[in-house]
Amino acid sequence: MGLDGAQDSKSGLFGYLTTRLDYFVNWGRKNAFWPMPYGTSCCGIEMMSTLASGYDLARFGAEAVRFSPRQADLLIVAGIVNAKLAPVLRSVYEQMGDPKWVLCLGACASSGGLFNVYSVVQGIDTIIPVDVYVPGCPPAPENLLHGLMRLQEMVMRGETHTQRRIKQSKRSRSKQV
Amino acid sequence: MDTKQDWSVKFGEIWSAQVAQLREKFHSAVEQVCFPQDSSTDVPIVYVKKEHLLDVLKFLKTEHGFEYNFLADLTATDEGKEPRFLVVYNLFSISRHARIRVKVRVREEEDVPSIVSLWAGANWAEREVWDMFGIKFEGHPDLRRLLMDERWVGHPLRKDYPLRGYQIFETPQPAHPELLE
Repeated sequence: MGLDGAQDSKSGLFGYLTTRLDYFVNWGRKNAFWPMPYGTSCCGIEMMSTLASGYDLARFGAEAVRFSPRQADLLIVAGIVNAKLAPVLRSVYEQMGDPKWVLCLGACASSGGLFNVYSVVQGIDTIIPVDVYVPGCPPAPENLLHGLMRLQEMVMRGETHTQRRIKQSKRSRSKQV
Repeated sequence: MDTKQDWSVKFGEIWSAQVAQLREKFHSAVEQVCFPQDSSTDVPIVYVKKEHLLDVLKFLKTEHGFEYNFLADLTATDEGKEPRFLVVYNLFSISRHARIRVKVRVREEEDVPSIVSLWAGANWAEREVWDMFGIKFEGHPDLRRLLMDERWVGHPLRKDYPLRGYQIFETPQPAHPELLE
């Protein structure tokens, strides 16, 4: 079961219930991503292939694709992001509720790829925080699956941008008290 | 299939007859003509004076025997010398399956007559040329940027625009008031 190893957090440093709950909640989160597809070019086709029956993203619990950012918690940016599109992507990200994750699929989204020109954003991490980068041009579906599994591990360990941000704000709030 | 040789065999005589007719009708308005057999082009290029552009294109579109009734493409090039720009009109005859190319030399501060009255499809093509090269089209109904953000400074396909002249905006482009109605 996914809850194996839960006893590791019984160190006494943290409140017993809180850590257990965090662990349990993260376990739930990692097995039920609701991805919002942001496919702009060929990487989008690979993402569709990953979602389809051949590779079946549902095996990882991430098949509930939502086309509204308000219902999604995983933004998969698959493809080139133009300068004109940058503020749109930013507002899509901002519309997603916490906790939210970003998976950056392919060379273009990660770094601009081979389009080092005026019209292309040189990596979406200049606009929004990115948790996992999947290399490739375009990446094969297996690469996306691997990226998703890495994201699951990161969510479990609480290493993603959102989780760090939430943890930090909680810490500063408790200091104020 | 349609190689340069094929076209020359098929249309060579027709093209020279048409160009002779054009020269006869428009005299000095036809500045220069390049034929496929003696220059690196696949179809004849007719350089016309800006003032007579509309007349020549209308003639090419409507005149019996010409009937280049389809505007295949409208674009421009930055030559990096005076006159700076070339505006290019690629015409195609749907009935005769023939092509011809018309070019206009334009200096940097000059306007070009809009051909939206002849081909409604030229509307967006001229907007794109304005967006990319900063060439203004006189008489265009709605000359706004087509591809770039409306707050963009400069025209990216000009040779003096930096290749990596990024301009990233924080907010999406404001919607055009007419489109909101």
